[in-house]
Order: sequence, then C-alpha cells, then structure tokens
Amino acid sequence: MQDADRSRTDTSPNPVNTARRWRAALRRRPGTILGVGVLAFMFAACVLSLPWTIGTMRDGTPRYADGVPAQGRVAPAFWPVRDAGEIARLNAMIPEETLREIGDRHGLAPEQVVRATSGRAGMELRGAWPSFSLGSDPLGRSLLIRLLAGGAISLTIGVAAALISVAIGTAYGMTAGYVGGRTDAFMMRVVDVLYGVPYILLVVLLAIASDAVIEDYLDRAPERRAWVEANAAEEARVRGITGAARDLLREDPGLARRLEAEASARFPLRPESDLPLGLGRRGLDLMVLLGAIASVSWLTTARVVRGQVMSLRSRAFVEAARALGASGPRIMVRHILPNLAGTIAVYTTLTVPQAILQESFLSFLGIGVKAPLPSWGNLAAEGLSELNPYRSHWWLLLFPCLLLAGTLLSLNVVGEALRESLDPRARRGGPR
Amino acid sequence: MPGPLFQIDRLTVEFPRRGSGLFQRGTIRAVDGVSFDVEPGEAVGIVGESGSGKSTVARAMIGLTRAASGRVLFDGHGVAGMGRAALRAFRRRVQMIFQDPGGSLNPRIRVGDAVAEPLIIHGLARGASASRMAGEAMERVGLPAALGVRYPHELSGGQKQRAVIARALTLSPGVLICDEPTSALDVSVQAQVLNLLADLRRAMNLTLVFVSHDLGVVRHVCDRVVVMHHGRIVERGACGEVFDSPREAYTKALVTAVPGMRP
Repeated sequence: MQDADRSRTDTSPNPVNTARRWRAALRRRPGTILGVGVLAFMFAACVLSLPWTIGTMRDGTPRYADGVPAQGRVAPAFWPVRDAGEIARLNAMIPEETLREIGDRHGLAPEQVVRATSGRAGMELRGAWPSFSLGSDPLGRSLLIRLLAGGAISLTIGVAAALISVAIGTAYGMTAGYVGGRTDAFMMRVVDVLYGVPYILLVVLLAIASDAVIEDYLDRAPERRAWVEANAAEEARVRGITGAARDLLREDPGLARRLEAEASARFPLRPESDLPLGLGRRGLDLMVLLGAIASVSWLTTARVVRGQVMSLRSRAFVEAARALGASGPRIMVRHILPNLAGTIAVYTTLTVPQAILQESFLSFLGIGVKAPLPSWGNLAAEGLSELNPYRSHWWLLLFPCLLLAGTLLSLNVVGEALRESLDPRARRGGPR
Repeated sequence: MPGPLFQIDRLTVEFPRRGSGLFQRGTIRAVDGVSFDVEPGEAVGIVGESGSGKSTVARAMIGLTRAASGRVLFDGHGVAGMGRAALRAFRRRVQMIFQDPGGSLNPRIRVGDAVAEPLIIHGLARGASASRMAGEAMERVGLPAALGVRYPHELSGGQKQRAVIARALTLSPGVLICDEPTSALDVSVQAQVLNLLADLRRAMNLTLVFVSHDLGVVRHVCDRVVVMHHGRIVERGACGEVFDSPREAYTKALVTAVPGMRP
C-alpha cells in the first residue's frame, strides 16, 4: 500500500524524466519483467543460434533442412514412448554397430535386440535413440533446430516490417497532421479506405503478383513469346500470308517447334544470382513478404502520429518556432519529431507482434515463408497437418504455437507497459 | 521624418465558428476593422479584457494569423504578402514573446540550444560560435549561461521567460511584440521581467508592442495605449491621458476595476 502511494507521488510530471516513470510502471505491472525476460531469451536463442542452425552439413544442406525420412516423427526426448511398434521403429534407427554391441552385452542377435522393449537391453536401447529434444518432423528434421531458425526468420521479418511500417506511418502521419486542411482530410480518407480493405487480401495479391514477376524474370517466357511471335510474323510476310502470326503458328506446328527451340537457345533461363539485391530467390521472396507486411501495417501508426502532431502543432513552442522564422521541415524534424519519440517507440513495440502474427499467418496459409525455410507459421501449419485421430504428433503443433504465443504476449505486455509509462492519461490513478 | 514602422490598416480577422460542420459555416470576427500605427522606438500597449482580440492583433502583426481583410504594413510592405526571403528578413527584425514561457520552449530541447536556434535558422552562426552567442544573450537578460545545458522544465517560470526573451533578442530585432509576457508569472518575478524589458528597450533601442490585460503593467512600460473591446478599438492615446482621464465608458470601467488606479 505504502509502495503504491509512493509511486504516485514519486512520478514526476515532467516528460523527460522517463527512467523514474518506467520504474514506477514496472512496479505496477510486474508481468513486464517476465515479458522482457521471455523476449530477451527468445531473441538471444534464435539469433545467437543462427550460425549453427543455418550452417551447412557435410553434404551442403543447411542444418535446418537436414534429416532423413526414416527418422521422421520422433517424439520429444522427454516424452515416454509406450507403443511397442514405435519402440521397435526407434530401435531400428540405432546404428548397426551399436546394436551389435548391445546384443553382445546381453547375449542377443541384432534382430532380437531391435525387438527388445523392456529390461536392461531396452533401457540401453532407449539411451541410444536419436535424441531430438523437441522431436522431429515427418522428414526427420530436428524440430528444435527448425524452431530456432524459424524463430530467427519470424522475429527478423517481424521487427524489420514493424520498423519499416512505423517509418512509413510516421512520415505519413506527420505530413497529414502538419499540413492539415484538405490534404490531411484526403490522406486520412485514404487510410480509412485502406483500413476497410482486408489486409490479407492485399498481402496475398502482392505476394502472388511479385511471384509472377520474379518467375517471368527468371524464366524469360515473355521474351521468348515475343521473339517467336515476331519471327512468325516475319515468316508470314515472307510467305505472303495475311493474318495473325498466331494463326500461322497454329497451322504449322513444325515451324512453331523450330522457333520455340531457337528461342529457348537464344534466351536461356536466368540463374537466381541474377535477381536484384543479390539475395537469391528465397531472399527476394522474404523481402517481398517483408514489404507486403510493412505496407499494410502502417495505418494505425499513421493515425496516432497524425493526432499527436495535430496536438503538438497547436502547442506554443511550435508557434514560437514559426515566429522565429523556422521552416516547415525544420519544425517537423527538430520540434515535433523529438516529441513523438515516445509514441513511435510504443507503436514500434506494438507493431512487431502484429507483423510477426501476419507473417506467421501468411506462412500458415502457405503464402509467406516457403519450405524448406522454416518459420513459426509454416511449422505450425505442418504441425496441424500432422494431427490425426490415429496418432497425433502433438509436438509439431504445440511447440511452434507456444513460442509464437509466448513471444506475441510478451511483446504486447511490454508495449502496453511502455505506452502506459509514456502516456500519463492512460495511467491508473487518474488524469494528471 | 520616416514613416511609422507598423501600419495596421482596418485589420479584420475571422475564425471559423467552433462546431461548424459541413453544412453549417460560420465565422467569429475576433478583430474588426482595427487601425493604428507604431512609430520607431516607441512602446505601444494594447489592452482589453480577455477575448477582446488584442492577442489576435499581435499575431496578425507578425504574420501568424491571416487577415480576413485590411492590411498590416511593416516599413511599407504588407506582412501577409511577403515572399520567403522577405519573410525571413521581416522575422529577423520583428520578434515575439508569448504568454506562456513554459509552453513556448520545446520540452525536448536544452535551453541553450533553444536560445541559439534563431541564429542557426537565419544562418548567422553555427556550432560553438552559436552557443557562445546564445550564452551572451542569456547573460544579457540576467540568466547565467551555465543554465543553457538544462531542459526547460528544470528552470523556474521567470528563468524560462528570460530565456524566451534571450531567444527573441539573439537576432537583435528592432521590434519586440510581447503577448502577455508576464501574466503567467508571480508578481515579484513580473516586476523583474518588466524592468528587464524596460532596460533592454533602452539599451537596444527596441520598439515594443505590449499586449496585456494588466493596465498597471502597460502604464509602467508603454508610451501610448490602444484599448480594445469586442475586436474594436474603443479608445487610444498617450498612456497617462487614457488612464487618468478615460473618455469612453468601457475604458472607465476597465480603469476603475484596477485597485489603486483611479481616473
């Protein structure tokens, strides 16, 4: 009780002494520390393990994609396996020489050893099972590694998309709020309309359209088609046929085949390394996804920033700056932007979970991060398809969802705490 | 003899009526056909009750508010129609001090940087020399230059108003428009700030336009006074004349409302 009273009188009214206010906010919301802890752990684990998880194996496949189907759907190491058939399957995964060693020790032939489910031989076999600490997926890849790599991808896309979208939202909102009048009205109606458009539809359209563009670029189909048609038209002119080149191609399959073959030789497929940004196909896909998410999630930030700018614009210090002769851009950057820092920080933390959720949702639907790259969303989708009445491989669904939910919850808790500490009106204890 | 510095000619300012929507348009006439001149070197007071339009006149004089009709001429040039360069030159010569010293300093900018800002805006100094000049400006208004590293909320009301005055004077303007510069301050601090303004006026040969509802303050500072009521000028004249023998009923009421001031 005493503590609560102190925190109320302690919080200083000035907007600059934020450290003290954050401490007070933390005291009111102890869950925040847990949230920060979860986030720190999640980011550290996913990012620091990245060199290991995306490192290549001896055969050149990255570790997150490494596995053999024979070792598919192994339960997490801590989960007791009781089904005799499953035990036999796991026993069969043990390398031949290990089996022989165990057999020698217990006086059993290797075939007999495999069937052992109990006794000391069984115990020893269990110790020799492939240890997938969080189980394996249908292709025998370690779920833990895929979760770590997928987490790194999900978090990176989430943070990057949130930063971009907050930048767009801030620039848009500041312009609308500062210019005001008809421009502002028009800009905000655009936002209203975009709010009305189902964002998922937009992202799907963007993703599919960009995919088609990339495909055409690599494949050079349009160039080939144009070349074939131009030559067919030339041929038609030579033969003195009037009519479309397409008709000639249809009537003369031999000519069509010859032209197609020549066109393929003339326009070979482009290698993926030719794609812009030098990221390869997968990297470019991720960039497109990032851009698509960023381009639909800036609306809330734009609205909030606009509101803030409008209230800041009428503050005396902005008027004073104008009277001093400061230009519009200078007022925006030097006088208004620093006063938006808190708002921007808050909406960044609140946009990150939104972006991660969108990425995961899209990946869940199969439009976002595409296999074999993992993301929490497509891991969850895979997990869902592994759920059946006969035998549920629950770990494949549970762990991605748990990590996703934990991260999103923590981000929201931290974002809310940040907002509360920076917005005096949202504080418990009434308006100041 | 040169002409008046400021000529306010039938100035009318209108604001959109609060709550007017798409179909219902309305305006409030805050200033209605006000004309007066300001001669170089003199101190003119504008007095009136709150809502009489006196602050709006000041804001229109510096070009922060657009006139619905009429003109504000500075040195013979219309303030409203100035181009970018002319406006910059105008701002160098005419500075304004606002009512709320706390509000007119950006809470995120250190006081020293705020005082140096006009120099940077007008390209007169940069970096170290700007801070040095800002420090000098602060010392001139009786504010230790060491306070420059503080944020506005770390200063008292009187110190903030001194900082605002220092900021306005870094450009060595010829004209200072003060919009209720002391009404947010304690009485003792008020007196200090007023004396400071009077000293600076003498030292820098400033022309003062002094907006206030406080007749005592205006009498202390100004040579001439304009009395406004409902957006119109009801009386004007030399300070002593108007306050000692007001002709209009409104001025009489205004003067008798002040304790210790009897016509």
